[in-house]
Amino acid sequence: MSAWHLLDPASPAPLRDHQLAMNRRQFFGRTATGLGTAALASLLGRENGLAAGAPNFAPKAKRIIYLFQNGGPTHVDLFDYKPRLRQVHGQPVPAEYLGGKRFSTMTGDPSGKLMLQPVEPFRQHGQSGAWVSAFMPHTAAIADELCFVKSLHTDAINHAPAISFLLSGAQIPGRPTMGAWLNYGLGSASEDLPGFVVMTSVSKGTSCGQIFYDFYWGSGFLPTRFQGAKFRGSRDPVLYLNNPDGLSPKLRRGLLDDLAELNEMKFRAVGDPEIETRIAQYEMAYRMQTSVPDLTDFSDEPEHVLAMYGPQVHEPGSFAYNCLMARRLAERGVNFIQCMHAGWDQHNSLTTELYTQCRDTDQPSAALVVDLKRRGLLEDTLVIWGGEFGRTPFIQGELANRERWGRDHHPYAFTVWMAGGGVKPGISHGASDDLGFNVVENPVHVHDLQATILHLSGINHEQLTYRFQGRYFRLTDVHGHIVKPILA
Amino acid sequence: MSLPYPRWFHARWIAAVALLPPAGVRSDTPGPIVFSRDVMPILSDSCFQCHGPDAKEGRKGDLRLDDEADSKRDRDGYRVIAEGHPDASELVHRLLSKDPDEQMPPPELGRPLSAGQIDTLKRWIAEGGRWGRHWAFEPVAPPSVPEGVHPIDALVQRGLDAAGMKPNPPADPATLIRRLSLDLTGLPPAPDVTSSFEAEFIRDPQSAIRHWADRLLASPHYGERMAWEWLEAARYADSNGYQGDNERTMWPWRDWVVKAYNENLPHDQFTIWQLAGDLLPKPTHDQILATGFNRNHMINGEGGRIAEENRVDYVMDMSETMGTVWLGLTLNCCRCHDHKFDPLTQEDYYRFTAFFNQTPVTGGGGNPQTPPVLEIAPPEAIAARDAARKERNLAKGLLDKAAEPEKNALNAPFNKAEAKLKSLDSAIPKVMVMADQREPRQTFLLERGLYNAPGREVTAGVPAVLLPAPDARNRLDLASWLVAPGHPLTARVAVNRIWQMLFGVGLVKTAEDFGVQAEYPQQRELLDWLAAEYVATGWDTKRLIKTLVTSETYRRSSVIDSRSSFETDPANRLLARGARFRIPSWMIRDQALAASGLLGSAIGGAPVYPYQPAGIWDEATFGKKTYTESSGGDLHRRSLYTFWRRIVGPTEFFDTAKRQVCEVNPLRTNTPMHALTTLNSPTYVEAARFLAEAVLRSHPDETTRFDAIAVRLLARKPAPAEVAVWKRSLDRARGAFQDDPPAATSLLATGTKPSGTGLDPTEHAAWTALCLNLLNLDETLTKE
Repeated sequence: MSAWHLLDPASPAPLRDHQLAMNRRQFFGRTATGLGTAALASLLGRENGLAAGAPNFAPKAKRIIYLFQNGGPTHVDLFDYKPRLRQVHGQPVPAEYLGGKRFSTMTGDPSGKLMLQPVEPFRQHGQSGAWVSAFMPHTAAIADELCFVKSLHTDAINHAPAISFLLSGAQIPGRPTMGAWLNYGLGSASEDLPGFVVMTSVSKGTSCGQIFYDFYWGSGFLPTRFQGAKFRGSRDPVLYLNNPDGLSPKLRRGLLDDLAELNEMKFRAVGDPEIETRIAQYEMAYRMQTSVPDLTDFSDEPEHVLAMYGPQVHEPGSFAYNCLMARRLAERGVNFIQCMHAGWDQHNSLTTELYTQCRDTDQPSAALVVDLKRRGLLEDTLVIWGGEFGRTPFIQGELANRERWGRDHHPYAFTVWMAGGGVKPGISHGASDDLGFNVVENPVHVHDLQATILHLSGINHEQLTYRFQGRYFRLTDVHGHIVKPILA
Repeated sequence: MSLPYPRWFHARWIAAVALLPPAGVRSDTPGPIVFSRDVMPILSDSCFQCHGPDAKEGRKGDLRLDDEADSKRDRDGYRVIAEGHPDASELVHRLLSKDPDEQMPPPELGRPLSAGQIDTLKRWIAEGGRWGRHWAFEPVAPPSVPEGVHPIDALVQRGLDAAGMKPNPPADPATLIRRLSLDLTGLPPAPDVTSSFEAEFIRDPQSAIRHWADRLLASPHYGERMAWEWLEAARYADSNGYQGDNERTMWPWRDWVVKAYNENLPHDQFTIWQLAGDLLPKPTHDQILATGFNRNHMINGEGGRIAEENRVDYVMDMSETMGTVWLGLTLNCCRCHDHKFDPLTQEDYYRFTAFFNQTPVTGGGGNPQTPPVLEIAPPEAIAARDAARKERNLAKGLLDKAAEPEKNALNAPFNKAEAKLKSLDSAIPKVMVMADQREPRQTFLLERGLYNAPGREVTAGVPAVLLPAPDARNRLDLASWLVAPGHPLTARVAVNRIWQMLFGVGLVKTAEDFGVQAEYPQQRELLDWLAAEYVATGWDTKRLIKTLVTSETYRRSSVIDSRSSFETDPANRLLARGARFRIPSWMIRDQALAASGLLGSAIGGAPVYPYQPAGIWDEATFGKKTYTESSGGDLHRRSLYTFWRRIVGPTEFFDTAKRQVCEVNPLRTNTPMHALTTLNSPTYVEAARFLAEAVLRSHPDETTRFDAIAVRLLARKPAPAEVAVWKRSLDRARGAFQDDPPAATSLLATGTKPSGTGLDPTEHAAWTALCLNLLNLDETLTKE
């Protein structure tokens, strides 16, 4: 057996001066110059490293919370008030609204379908006079904080492609998602947590929940360290977070110090910069072991705050729990937080499960905005609420059978709301026609929404690119216009 | 490049300004300009988006810079490229212009050319503007190599000499045997292998390497190791994907892959069998089984999906996978439009799909055994099932013919026969394979790639730009074309992937893309020599690997021992150093199991279910699927055999392909989640426990135990400085467990396989803690 000659601490350390100049802290977070990610990328020797680097300009939103509502929330029942739907209730859909449009196979040919009035009444709220349905009392109460975009439209008609399109700019899985792009472009501001965190939930008793595919938070062709860290909906949100039974935190700390010392020795002997990254990541892993339990320990939350989010805030994996987690993650510097709630697919449950959906999401969503505002975080936190498309203004099901009223997928007009982070509060942008069918004013395409979100984060969407398969890719493909009228 | 202004408009100041090379600017390329290496990449990268092969979308200014004639033709008195005269070439003028209306590339793209790139283009035009073809579409041109030197080393040395670099010395034998063993079998060398190798190495290094390369290539674990990357390329999984995510039975195909590698099926046959084995004359069982390759795509069983849309998706996936795996081309770019960069048209794309469009698969439903299928069972089982079918048909006949009053009496026998048939039939694994339907299906160019927007009809065929094959009509013709003499891509793409596997990065870095946008390989001569050698030796994969690992280039130390070699070539593309990179996560697991003695050696069979935290599947499938861990030895099989649920892959692996579409260039990242996995997962804790037990039982004292652990994990003995830290870890752990004996019991309870009796729990736990730390050493996780 040969002696191991390289691990002699007295051996020359050629790269040491170079490497030690890279302060260990640079591995963890963005420094004043935004060097964190860039430093790491160059250390890793990734030629594809940083096309973007630091922000292009000062960001309005330092972090983003995307409350993603999977399934296609029904815009005509929630936020896009169309009194004419009451007048034409039960009448066939007017042909001039259709124009050869494609619907899902469940609808097939839409001609002759009967129009359906909103299930619940609408009322105007706040100084802004925003119309919000009785389904959403808590959201209605904060209408003056919100910017409704009522002219969103998309290209896809089925869930997975449409969600993928909204979050990654492409219907086919495999592109980096918004959070990955931002993490790649701006680096992480958190020293103890990953920069992009994802949580999912579904209402109890939902009959038609959609699968949460991991490409909804994937990094596509970007290196996987930019992908969303999926927190699980349990008290143990990160896999393998806990030390093995019987291995105390104190012993683990000591062992990790030993491990770091051994790895440092190795680094001095072989000079591979990847070793320094590994030492840093083991350190981050250790920090997560303490930061994640602290993150999930709600005992420091005052009772009135917990109450604001509603009773489900105590159930890990519920939307309310995830909304409070989102605020706690935002406070800890996590840049992109994606809370996804499934079950908005009301093909036959407008008068039943839609109430459950709203009960489980309305209060926590509104609470999150209020809570952020009270803590002074709303001004530089962008909150977005919305799904992948809307629902048809005409019925799916029988008019006579109110218990089974439903609406099909509708990509031609739908609504999202935004709050905080550089967006004008108390306004409504764009409009659909008098039946909520097609956009007639200030259309906002999905790529426009993406361009706007990047803009609010201080990034020019045309410049955040990554070279893959010989092409420069970006979130907005070759499209996208910033929706300027909604910028504060 | 749009050309709105007459030429004379700028003539004056062009002459004055544009021709003065900026002070200090040097071309990026010393020596004479080579079109495909120096010029094509710049044009492709900066110009083809608007002035490239895509005829329909986006071509601007009536100019094709991918076309020599168009670039050089007279345009009413001026030319874009005027051979020999950069000063008279509109191209140069536009590149240097500061006027935003005429500057190229347009300033809003934000990707200006560097001064060096512009200088390269100017020099190229000055030298005559000689055109050429993209290098990868040119025939393989092996260089001549000197006698008496390993050709790889001779060719690598040319690059090092040109850069004025010196190669590293060879790695020491311990590093080398571990490198060889991980590369060829995915497992660490057993301690006796390490000592035999070292003894042989001292006598004759070359012969030791050759001998052990042969032995490792002959190991049945070689096929398992090679299969992993092939499974990733083939998007292999044990379920359909999408909603429902039904289980499927493709593992017999996976076992065929292992066998094919172990039997060293030549790569041309490997290709033909998988793409078209069913079309061979009198195909064997294995030749049909091999075609399961094509059927590994996802199957969408979502309600509301249109069957034809699914079917078209599957056909496209088959074509694109073929394109990536054999051609190294990004065919998917041509779904909706002509390729932006490569000379491939949308029509070429749909002509490829026509080969695969003949499968009888309909696209409806989510049946994971959609015919055509191949039954995998002993003949007796099939005979028994067929007999049961006869019985059942008989019973059905009787039942149908019987008069009403008699029916009651006949119902029971029929139901019994039916149940028997069902149970015998469902016990026979059915693997989805390929066949062509009798009635040829028409194939159309699909506008924007939409299944319901057919354009003109196309026939099956291959792009003549690569290698003409006018008579190619079916998949067998396609496969034969891929491996025909003179095909420019197949051998290059294949040897590049094997190079990537051993050296961490391919000679062409983008293993998935050999098109115009791929980098020009710095080691093109080496790539071509290897490709030619591979073909000339009958596509002999084991021989190719042996050629690679017996070179000095492979054997070099990976130590970064002089600042200059790192700074001039940080990514080690000139190969002055040996490769050093973190091994794949599946290999990390296999290594831990092997080093601790837990690893089962059985090869093949139905997938297994190793440790996974509770609730992962339930959460992803709304409780419809629940993971049930295997028991006993199935918990410790090689990672290759782990059940792969497509919508939520095994949690213990990271940076693996997603197994949704073809992937041939695995990522290698370094994240805290990875650290948590190898620090805390029961797999590693249990492996540490058994590694500890093994050395406690076999060695009497600390020193020899340290040595034994190091030999098992790192194939070497520890240095004194390391031992000092190990001792400290051991003392820490000992102290902790002496203070808290129940903690020792808890730690030792991790994992289901019981430890032997008679060990002191405190000692065993302390050594377990040490071993767990050492399983997480950078060196353990890394191939050096």
